[in-house]
Amino acid sequence: MTRTADLQGDIGDVLLTEEDIAAKVADLGRQIAADYAGRNLTLVSVLKGSLPFMADLMRQIPLPLRIDLMEVSSYGGTATESSGLVRIMKDLSASIADEDVLLVEDIIDTGLTLNYLVRYLRGKNPASLRICTLLDKPARRLVDIPVDYVGFEIPDQFVVGYGLDYGERYRNLRFVGVLRPEVYTPAD
Amino acid sequence: MTEPVAGVPPARPAFAHASEAELARILDFYDVRWTYEPDTFPIGWSLDGDVVESFAPDFYLPDLDLYVELTTLKQKLVRKKNRKLRRLRELYPDIRIKLFYARDFRMLLLKFGRMALVDELTGTTGQATPPRPVDVSAEPEPGLVLTELDLPDLESDLVVAGPAVTPRGRRRGRRRRRGAGDAAPVAVEALAAEAPDPPDA
Repeated sequence: MTRTADLQGDIGDVLLTEEDIAAKVADLGRQIAADYAGRNLTLVSVLKGSLPFMADLMRQIPLPLRIDLMEVSSYGGTATESSGLVRIMKDLSASIADEDVLLVEDIIDTGLTLNYLVRYLRGKNPASLRICTLLDKPARRLVDIPVDYVGFEIPDQFVVGYGLDYGERYRNLRFVGVLRPEVYTPAD
Repeated sequence: MTEPVAGVPPARPAFAHASEAELARILDFYDVRWTYEPDTFPIGWSLDGDVVESFAPDFYLPDLDLYVELTTLKQKLVRKKNRKLRRLRELYPDIRIKLFYARDFRMLLLKFGRMALVDELTGTTGQATPPRPVDVSAEPEPGLVLTELDLPDLESDLVVAGPAVTPRGRRRGRRRRRGAGDAAPVAVEALAAEAPDPPDA
């Protein structure tokens, strides 16, 4: 039987409060605004997890920027016994050629998705390509990619909230919390 | 990954463990090139200078210049692998290697929403092939001193054999900056000292 998610009760610890996140996003916005003043900045966000971060971050950058959205399939969504390949579910809606692109991510852990996206976006010939992530989980990194803006470095725990999901739930939490292991561990 | 041939699906190696096959599928999915157990690194020598212990990381990712070793055994059972990894890093400090413990692999599957596969892919149940039988009563080969450390590894990656072994057709360590000829021979017994295992964190 499918377990019903308990939005608050399934969270063990609150890792980052709403206030923590807001302060950090404002700080990142200031840094990015200073670095990109006078340039053609395009923020590219990766659906769905980055949505809240993107919405808050872009409003902390007082520059005439553009935004665009992408979505890529994740392994769990399509994998079968035969190997599949990552697919672009939603591509950029405009060219980023000669634009200064900042890729906005919610979290970087293995770096596999990011590695794919960076290679894909570089093929679009942007003037520059940098990466901004709210959360960085370096302990789980498989593909090392330099990240230019990092909000929080977090421990190796499964976190949800502020866009991050487990089974498409918990994205609407206003904080980032650690999911209780019993939520994702099958009962004996 | 083997070189592609037009119209012919690339052959899959015979993975020793189902978790390795799953990781290969994940790497394929994200278009990360890999080869399976391409290199064997000698890490122990007899007093005669013969290689008596080697380490063959599960994957090499050429574009990232990274080896990946996957162990899905419980933490308390991976002491031997930790020791081998420490030895590898001592002897080949320029090699980049990432060790995936059972917990790492669980979290990877959790991230991809494939927790249901955990029980099938981890531990001894996930082994695609049974451990190689080792007749411990047999006479040891010349130059080989059997110790407790030479008992069969559940993941069958311990090379208990003679000089410059390349089991299952592996070629020798591609980056043997210190090979049998330029590193001081280390008897297997000398490797027995164990540092504490890292916590399961």
